[in-house]
Amino acid sequence: MDNRTIFFCEDSIDGIFTAVYDAWASRLGLGNVTVEVRGNQTLQLFAEYRQVETDHEKAAKVAATIQKRLGLEDYQVLYQAALSKEADKGEAVFRTLVLGLAEVKKKNITRNLGNPAVMRAFELSRTVGFEAHRYQMFVRFRELENGVLFSEIAAENQVLPMIGEHFSDRFPMENFMIYDRQHRDCLVHPGGKAWVILQDMDLEETMIRNYSKEEEKFAALWKGFVSSIAIEERANPRCQMNFMPKKYWKYMTEHDKRISV
Amino acid sequence: MHIQQEMDLYQKLNILTDAAKYDVACTSSGVDRKGDGRHMGNCQAPGICHSFSSDGRCISLLKILFTNECIFDCRYCINRSSNDVVRTSFTPEEVCQLTMEFYRRNFIEGLFLSSGILHSPNYTMDLIYQTLYKLRNEYHFRGYIHVKAIPGADPVLIEQTGFLADRMSVNLELPTAEGLKKLAPNKTRQKILMPMRQVQAKMQENQYEVALYHHAPQFVPAGQSTQMIIGATPESDYQIISVAESLYQKFELKRVFYSAFVSVNQDALLPSLPGGPPLLREHRLYQADWLMRFYGFAAGELLNEKRQNFNMLLDPKCDWALGHLEQFPVEVNRADLGELLRVPGIGPKSARRIVQARRFGALDYAALKKMGVVLKRALYFITCSGRMMYPVKLEEGYILRNLLNVKEKLPFEVQNYQQLSLFEDIGAVKMPGQLTINA
Ligand code: SF4
Repeated sequence: MDNRTIFFCEDSIDGIFTAVYDAWASRLGLGNVTVEVRGNQTLQLFAEYRQVETDHEKAAKVAATIQKRLGLEDYQVLYQAALSKEADKGEAVFRTLVLGLAEVKKKNITRNLGNPAVMRAFELSRTVGFEAHRYQMFVRFRELENGVLFSEIAAENQVLPMIGEHFSDRFPMENFMIYDRQHRDCLVHPGGKAWVILQDMDLEETMIRNYSKEEEKFAALWKGFVSSIAIEERANPRCQMNFMPKKYWKYMTEHDKRISV
Repeated sequence: MHIQQEMDLYQKLNILTDAAKYDVACTSSGVDRKGDGRHMGNCQAPGICHSFSSDGRCISLLKILFTNECIFDCRYCINRSSNDVVRTSFTPEEVCQLTMEFYRRNFIEGLFLSSGILHSPNYTMDLIYQTLYKLRNEYHFRGYIHVKAIPGADPVLIEQTGFLADRMSVNLELPTAEGLKKLAPNKTRQKILMPMRQVQAKMQENQYEVALYHHAPQFVPAGQSTQMIIGATPESDYQIISVAESLYQKFELKRVFYSAFVSVNQDALLPSLPGGPPLLREHRLYQADWLMRFYGFAAGELLNEKRQNFNMLLDPKCDWALGHLEQFPVEVNRADLGELLRVPGIGPKSARRIVQARRFGALDYAALKKMGVVLKRALYFITCSGRMMYPVKLEEGYILRNLLNVKEKLPFEVQNYQQLSLFEDIGAVKMPGQLTINA
């Protein structure tokens, strides 16, 4: 049973960081407060819920404090943990941060894996990092009629903020979009400019199937390449599936059944 | 020999991929290069895989031959001059276009360009150079390039090509000079080692240049690698890892790859291998290779003149630990990194985590488990705050029996290997390591 005060916030980095700020400033005693994101969890009977309104200034202060007092390594772990799909991420981030601020002499609180709260934040962060990396590998762009490179994914965690930098650095002059069907977020990068994430987006299905003239050719070339590179004597579909689970195949060009080779 | 001139790009890609697939290296690792804000491409040091082929191998680079024409007649090779196969060549333009278009769709990290010997080593090396020159200077490609140095080509050409590539490799082909003589009559060990030496020397020189002049062009920044075929000739595992060790030490190679021999030609001098390619053996060699590169083991610790081959039932690290029980158990809350690394079930990542986390306080078994330590294997070799996890005997036969009951994480592909049915209790589970982890 939980009779703590729960700072209930929007499911975003800024939402969580604002709640951390409010919980800390509430003076209710750090053991009596915690942070939770709004979602479809069952509410707890004896807890008091305080609705947190996302405040970008407060969030920026929290981010700066983490970076300065705990260090960049910890910031990355906490930031990644906050993108997780798990319901207890607010608590894990908040507890780890409280511990980190109490350790005046040592930085890198997230290396203190003997502590269960830190371990939880670390686990969440690791899972999110793993999924983001998978999408660095498996995102596939198709060139649309208008020259835009378009990709879709269905991520479990909110990975777009973690892959935006990678692809923008890689394709600085390309206009590209990565649409996350699961979260209805869209990463948009106009050539030569900074990337942004648009929330609550629905895309026009006909527009994103309207491929350029060359697209079919290169998709078929790629699909042909993937099948020629395999060594028959070493055939091993289970191993392939293990590294590249079926759930990613849906949006991957080499597994697109509509492309004939 | 068929040489087809009029062939569409699709057929060419098919043929020249098929001909390149026996080269096992496909990593895009070893160099960090940020984008420049204008041109396409960057590189990440750990490398990135983009797909997995139906044999479970990682696809990271567009791995192709420039041509499958070849004046040489290496007995193990599908492209040897005496084989009757369809021959074709790309143009530099075609290679550039494929690389760029694949790259911008996030299919690949870059290009791996190898080639059969067309007319002469020099002629071939020049074609490769032209292609890379175009890709870097006309298409401004900043992604990863792995290129073969052709033994016997003019050192000037090799050097110029090295300034355009990230990684260069010269294949050792077979572990010993005798093996090479037998199966690759047009090649000699000395001719293969020469460009390797040259690349090494130039890399060392280039380090000074880059240190002095920040903008000096970089020569093969991701280093060089090589590969050898396993099981086509009779060398022992000990000979093979000793060769690898000296390549790491004397030639400063980044990676040595081992390629289980796949029989593609009928030839009296080649073994027939009814059980298929020796995949389990290849796996053991990779495990040993990791122990030498990341765990501080020397080849002579793992095998020796008396024991020339790995135990097929047990991974080389467990095998070593069982032979050195006098060094165990180690106390996890005190042992230094080097000692932790020698414990079966503890890898470089978990060893590092342990060293960092225990500064905040003593660790218990539950924490070790979450950090990634495989306790099923480690429990015989460690204490945690003075206590063992269970009361166990530090006795070789007892631990061996127990370790054999722990399912080893063998790659799926090894599971297909027929010999394994002899000892089913090792049955394979989950992730292999060496095929995706790029180093
Ligand atoms: S040189 Fe030998 S290994 Fe290389 S392509 Fe020619 S025949 Fe094959």
